[in-house]
Amino acid sequence: MIAKKVLLIGSFGVGKTSLVRRFVLNEFSENYISTIGVRISTKTVAIEDEEVKLMIWDVAGTSEEENVPKAYFLGSSAAMYVFDLSREETYLNLDKEIESIKNLSGLDEVIIVGNKRDLLSDDEIFEIRKIVPVTIDFITSAKENANVEGAFNLLTQQSLK
Amino acid sequence: MRETTVDNKKDNRFEILKELLLTDDRQKFESLRDQFLEKDKIRENINPVVDEKIDDLKANFPEHFGDQITESIKVQIRESQDEVVEALYPIMGKLVKKFIIAEITKLTESINQTINDKFSLTQILKRLFKGKRTDADDVLQEVFEPVIEEVFVIGEKTGLLIGSYSRGNIADKDMVSGMLTAIKSFAEDAFKKEGQDLEDIKFETFQLSMVNYNSIYIATATSGVITSEFKEELSDNLNTLAEKILRDRTYLNDEDKLNKLIEDILILD
Repeated sequence: MIAKKVLLIGSFGVGKTSLVRRFVLNEFSENYISTIGVRISTKTVAIEDEEVKLMIWDVAGTSEEENVPKAYFLGSSAAMYVFDLSREETYLNLDKEIESIKNLSGLDEVIIVGNKRDLLSDDEIFEIRKIVPVTIDFITSAKENANVEGAFNLLTQQSLK
Repeated sequence: MRETTVDNKKDNRFEILKELLLTDDRQKFESLRDQFLEKDKIRENINPVVDEKIDDLKANFPEHFGDQITESIKVQIRESQDEVVEALYPIMGKLVKKFIIAEITKLTESINQTINDKFSLTQILKRLFKGKRTDADDVLQEVFEPVIEEVFVIGEKTGLLIGSYSRGNIADKDMVSGMLTAIKSFAEDAFKKEGQDLEDIKFETFQLSMVNYNSIYIATATSGVITSEFKEELSDNLNTLAEKILRDRTYLNDEDKLNKLIEDILILD
């Protein structure tokens, strides 16, 4: 079995941990747990006749102010950046954040995920797509289990590249 | 008809007279006899029941009266503590004294044995060659022998587990490897010591040591008293293990092969 380190990055409270919980445990907890530093989860995924053990590093933040050790980003095979569709401050500087992650991790691509779609209408999401400076790969809801599997499947595929 | 000498009329009269005079006595006699016979009857009926009750009491006395007796003993002890202490003290005192004497005897024997061992010619000669190790080290080593509990060979940057040995039963070694790597990175980053690495984490009876090599690091969890001699030996063995892994990179992709190597070098050696 292949083992791959993958990153899940994004500001506090965007729902990274809920996405992981939904993907790994297939459940959603209403209790909000603020992530401090990093949380590691594992999940074995079968993809293209290959079993991949994902080591998901759920990292809180990227910027210098958030003081995340740079070593967290090293050695990863793929990364997913999560922002909160309902909080503008989590996606306004998205292009800079993505650039920073690419520099820290050495990765060429980062999957962009807008989470908490259950809090917005389709029109509002359409408007956000226009504002966000990069292409959003997935619009997810950990609460309603929407698109979570798809986002992680793409993450797994990218880790095998 | 010939007349007899017996005067029948006279005899009947006597009988009638007897009847008249003794009627009361006879009735009393009858009554007494009935009462006597009645008692025998009652005894016959009651005796088995009484016997049964007595047997039951003999067999189940604690159940019937245990609580009441316990309670009354408790009350008695509470109300007469001085008397109880006075009664028990000689017995308890003797027991305590006996126990202490036995333990002191054992300790004396142990001290004598240790002194004899330490000052034997063989030991004196050994001590001449052993360097800085003290007698205290020897005693500690004998009592709390250090044991390698877990070994993890981990990718330095990825935090991925490459190989391991476990004496216990860790549920998710991959997760442990990842978290160890994160803690290591966090500590190194937090204290901002360029080029310095987190080497040891101690918790209760465990010591977790991490040694960095090129692209991998090896974490060992050890229990017991870790002497400098054990540490040196472990360090040598870890270096040997790392050298073998880095010389033959096939170990990095073959977990079973690496696990065997870890066991051969660190555990069985």
